[in-house]
Amino acid sequence: MFKLLAFLMRAINALNKLVGNVFSWLSLGIVLVCFAVVVERYVFGSTRLWMQDLYVWLNGAMFTAVAGFALFRNQHVRVDIFYRPASIRRKAIADLVGVCLFLLPFMYILTIYSLPYVQRSWRFMEGSANIGGMPGLFILKSFLLVFTALVALQGLAVLIRSILIIARRDDLVPADFGYQYDKE
Amino acid sequence: MDPVLIGEILAGLMFFGVIGMLMLGFPVAFTLAGTSLLFALVGYHFEVFDPSNFAALAGRYVGYMTNEVLVAVPLFIFMGVMLERSKIAEQLLLTMGKLFGNVRGGLGYSVIIVGALLAASTGVVGATVVTMGLISLPAMIRARYDPKLASGVICASGTLGQIIPPSTVLIFMGDMLGGINAQVQMAKGNFAPTPVSVGDLFAGAFLPGFMLVLLYLIWIFIKSLIDPKSCPATPVPEAERRGLLKEVFTALVPPLMLIFAVLGSILGGIATPTEAASVGAVGAIVLAALRWRLSFKVLREAVISTASITSMIFIILFGASVFALVFRQMGGDNLVHEFLSGLPGGAIGAMIVVMLIMFVLGFILDTFEIIFIVIPITAPILLALGLDPVWVGVMVGVNLQTSFLTPPFGFSLFYLRGVAPNSVSTGMIYRGAIPFVALQVVAIALLFIFPEIVTWLPSVLRS
Repeated sequence: MFKLLAFLMRAINALNKLVGNVFSWLSLGIVLVCFAVVVERYVFGSTRLWMQDLYVWLNGAMFTAVAGFALFRNQHVRVDIFYRPASIRRKAIADLVGVCLFLLPFMYILTIYSLPYVQRSWRFMEGSANIGGMPGLFILKSFLLVFTALVALQGLAVLIRSILIIARRDDLVPADFGYQYDKE
Repeated sequence: MDPVLIGEILAGLMFFGVIGMLMLGFPVAFTLAGTSLLFALVGYHFEVFDPSNFAALAGRYVGYMTNEVLVAVPLFIFMGVMLERSKIAEQLLLTMGKLFGNVRGGLGYSVIIVGALLAASTGVVGATVVTMGLISLPAMIRARYDPKLASGVICASGTLGQIIPPSTVLIFMGDMLGGINAQVQMAKGNFAPTPVSVGDLFAGAFLPGFMLVLLYLIWIFIKSLIDPKSCPATPVPEAERRGLLKEVFTALVPPLMLIFAVLGSILGGIATPTEAASVGAVGAIVLAALRWRLSFKVLREAVISTASITSMIFIILFGASVFALVFRQMGGDNLVHEFLSGLPGGAIGAMIVVMLIMFVLGFILDTFEIIFIVIPITAPILLALGLDPVWVGVMVGVNLQTSFLTPPFGFSLFYLRGVAPNSVSTGMIYRGAIPFVALQVVAIALLFIFPEIVTWLPSVLRS
């Protein structure tokens, strides 16, 4: 039973690690595309409007897609006056409560209420509101659902970690997902 | 019971509920959203909250995802991370520290100056503190600074972006105050009021920003006199001193030129902050390459750090949006409005109360959430009472800056916590911020007593 849970947790971690490692490179994309727009405008005096949408959208796609990975890396900021000095078991309990009470309901509500919004966008293959802008705004809007799915999954992985620690099966928690405070 | 009253009570309780729940230590972004949802559920039970309001969330989030101005955040983080990973920033600070020579607190002075420069280039509190935290904190700890003083200097210097032009906060505020001022003057029968522009607000914020930098520098100077161990001098050996001139030209001048170019193009009105930020990011890559420090490993670390930190900041914005939505829908802002209009004490009394409310809101809400909620509700009352719009705008900026610096909830402290090494405890960060909060209070008092510090420069530039 615990082995099965641990397997699920490792699978979710692997998924978010993969997504995180791929989508993080969009940050370099933002830099290069935005710089290209600047060079075109100030050096060649011309602009391609779709490129102005592109770097903005890359940011939107990046920070939503990477959110689950950031949770895996414990990069989301906490008010840690009581959390930081707490024992690992207490941290596990706090995370268990947090995932069940805050994270999963938030992701559920967001999914339910953004689904029609994203579907509407898909129906008419919505593009940029700017004339001459990027096509495919519906793809960017879909990242809301990518966000909720990946964060909810990672929340589940955190939940499993809490259960394993409370059940004193710490041995099943991989080192890179352990309770060292932060990794830098 | 009256449903309006129930809603307002719930909104009030929610405010304190969120603060309580945050103590659990679960990530802020999800706690903000989750607690608000719980209160929304209670509100739904009492028929004072309509869940169909949640439909607005998706549109608002996509608004953040397609916001051109906010792209400056990942770009400046990338620039900061790149300068840090390639050790350029560290050398910049160390060389500047050497330049200040055998003076105690020299590294502190250079952090404030470099920090003010970086702050001015972003105007986004998160990006600045993260950048400064990544760059300066390791360097200062290596120089055996008191970690409290080091983190205090960084958090304080990082919040300068709220007030030093071209702060994005000032842009939004100038726009709103200009419109509100025109309406208020019209209502008073003044049909040709002096318009208030974003430029006026920039000019008004210039001297107060300069004054704050000066106050920080004076504090380090005092600290170096009364507690020399907290900010030791970094003596330069004779052998190294000969090479210093060469080092200045290789380590100091290129990144300074990059920062000035980014800053200058924004201040000179040549480029938008986002455009200038991309030039800064590419410039950082080029500087790293010129020093043979640009490897695949460095680049990979830089993109992963940039993406995770950016995500962390934007997801806080997501969570705060849920809070703002539920709070407003349950009548929280009505509550505030009723309260303010019945206040005694005239213009200054109302201003002090608004400042206190904003200060407290600054603990949980983002700058833009705060000014978008508070300014439209309160500014018409304040301006009608005869307060100067530019002064109000700058005061709000300094006030929020102070709020972001105040333990235990200041955003600036959260952001530094996110990038600080384990050896620096949260308690140290909190205690380090306190003297700088005191300096901020001094500054606010000075601006209250001598509003000319704000209004003088705009009036000179206007005539």
